[in-house]
Amino acid sequence: MIQVKDLKFQYPGSDSLTLKGLDFNIEQGEIFGFLGPSGAGKSTVQKILYKILSGYKGEVMVKNKALNKWGKDYFEQIGVGFELPNHYLKLTGKENLDLFASFYKLKSQRNLEQLFEQVDLLDALNKPVEAYSKGMKMRLNFIRAIQHDPDLIYLDEPTSGLDPVNAQKIKQLILELKAKGKTIFITTHSMHTADELCDRVAFIVDGEIRIIDSPQNLKTKYGKEAVNVKLKTGENQEFPLKELGCNTEFLQFIKQGEINRIHTMEATLDEVFINVTGKSLGV
Amino acid sequence: MKHLFILAGTDFKLIFRDPSLRAFLFFPIMLFAIIIWFVPSLIEKYEILEDYIPLFIMVGAVENTQMFSFISSMVLIDEKETQVAQMYGIVPLSRIQFLLFRLLIPYSFTVLLNVILLLTQPFVHISFIYILLISILTALIVPAYVLGINSIVKNRMEGMIYIKAFNMLVLVPFAAFFVPENFKHVFGFLPTHWILQSIELVSIESPQNGNLLLFLLIGFVFFAGVIYWLARSFFKKHFS
Ligand SMILES: Nc1ncnc2c1ncn2[C@@H]1O[C@H](COP(=O)(O)OP(=O)(O)O)[C@@H](O)[C@H]1O
Ligand SMILES: [Mg+2]
Repeated sequence: MIQVKDLKFQYPGSDSLTLKGLDFNIEQGEIFGFLGPSGAGKSTVQKILYKILSGYKGEVMVKNKALNKWGKDYFEQIGVGFELPNHYLKLTGKENLDLFASFYKLKSQRNLEQLFEQVDLLDALNKPVEAYSKGMKMRLNFIRAIQHDPDLIYLDEPTSGLDPVNAQKIKQLILELKAKGKTIFITTHSMHTADELCDRVAFIVDGEIRIIDSPQNLKTKYGKEAVNVKLKTGENQEFPLKELGCNTEFLQFIKQGEINRIHTMEATLDEVFINVTGKSLGV
Repeated sequence: MKHLFILAGTDFKLIFRDPSLRAFLFFPIMLFAIIIWFVPSLIEKYEILEDYIPLFIMVGAVENTQMFSFISSMVLIDEKETQVAQMYGIVPLSRIQFLLFRLLIPYSFTVLLNVILLLTQPFVHISFIYILLISILTALIVPAYVLGINSIVKNRMEGMIYIKAFNMLVLVPFAAFFVPENFKHVFGFLPTHWILQSIELVSIESPQNGNLLLFLLIGFVFFAGVIYWLARSFFKKHFS
């Protein structure tokens, strides 16, 4: 769906490269994520891909066509969820969405009430956006990005600024979009979001990609293939996963007293990130 | 065409729901009252003012453009400041279309205001073709002004400052009428100079048509160039 080779970018007036030569591909129908701390260049990459920034170096192909060869029909096919809420504050939620929907050749009649309902905004449909909370505005961003049923969806920090319940709701909706065959490119600084959503994730730090793999592979590769067993007595011990069922030492240990907890020693994505990049994700 | 009406409708909602913009819609009414009633009564009292009739007409025509220059500038600044402008960068709408749809109504409305003003002013008779040409030219102040402001400022605060500066800038070529005749075209570096000169020619008894057409032509070419140049810098800035 998207092929990027040696992508470099420098903001006008900045004295160093913001993107220092990125290579990645995004496959049709996958959720691909950029995970990295604030300032890494995640939004910059997305802005280049949805053509708000120009003047990049390198090769960018979308749907087998060079990005700069795409005309305005490109925008029929993509949806963009901006990082920060941007709406006309004096217009209602419905007026905002209707306005921007009017520019597309809509494939099918969209159901506005249902869109608002999905993100729990139905009550606010006819309220001016200036009366919305930050979280409500972010959810409005999300449904505005998908209202014209695009094939390729860019979501810049889709869960930031949301309470856990709403963040969960948005994640669920993103997974539903994937189930419908959409290709989704998200950025996030939250390892949970990356872990729960992404088929593949790229770690990005200081304008460079350090690794690309599935969250599961990363966690396994950088963790230990072992379980840790803790007893009620406080005693705990590690056992390798390999042939665990035949490990007599393990079997003895778990019979020895009441078990408090058993967990696998796979790394969290956070730990992998620090391990690979030497940087923390921050908050 | 559909987009034109949707965007114009949106702009009118934005204007009517913002008290500070809404108030400006009364500006032309005030201006008309001044030119049509107040100035004539003033001239009746102080005959010496009769010499200044062309200046009153010029002020009227130029000030007529200031309502939408201000309102449209503010709407676009607001849109930029709240980053809604980015949305227009990612919908299937070309930049030219965007500009045309946003500015055509304010422009046309301003043309109309000036046609009415020049028709109803009680001082001199101006033939309709000149009224039309002058109104079409004068209203070009609106896009030039709006694009100029929006190519420079980043937020409402800066907007207010530059709007004051631009309000004065459009009127600077008035000074041409207070310097010796030979020097008046030194103000020709400002495009509004050619509007004022054209209006002067039609508001005196026997206009020299040759000069009038020349001034109008310079005005149109000048404004076209300025608008083209400002539109380019506006496009670079507004959507990111
Ligand atoms: N408009 C801009 N002009 C100059 N520098 C910018 C601009 N926008 C972002 N940057 C810089 O580029 C870097 C990457 O920013 P960004 O892509 O927004 O990071 P992220 O989305 O990963 O937090 C940061 O160092 C930021 O300061
Ligand atoms: Mg960002």
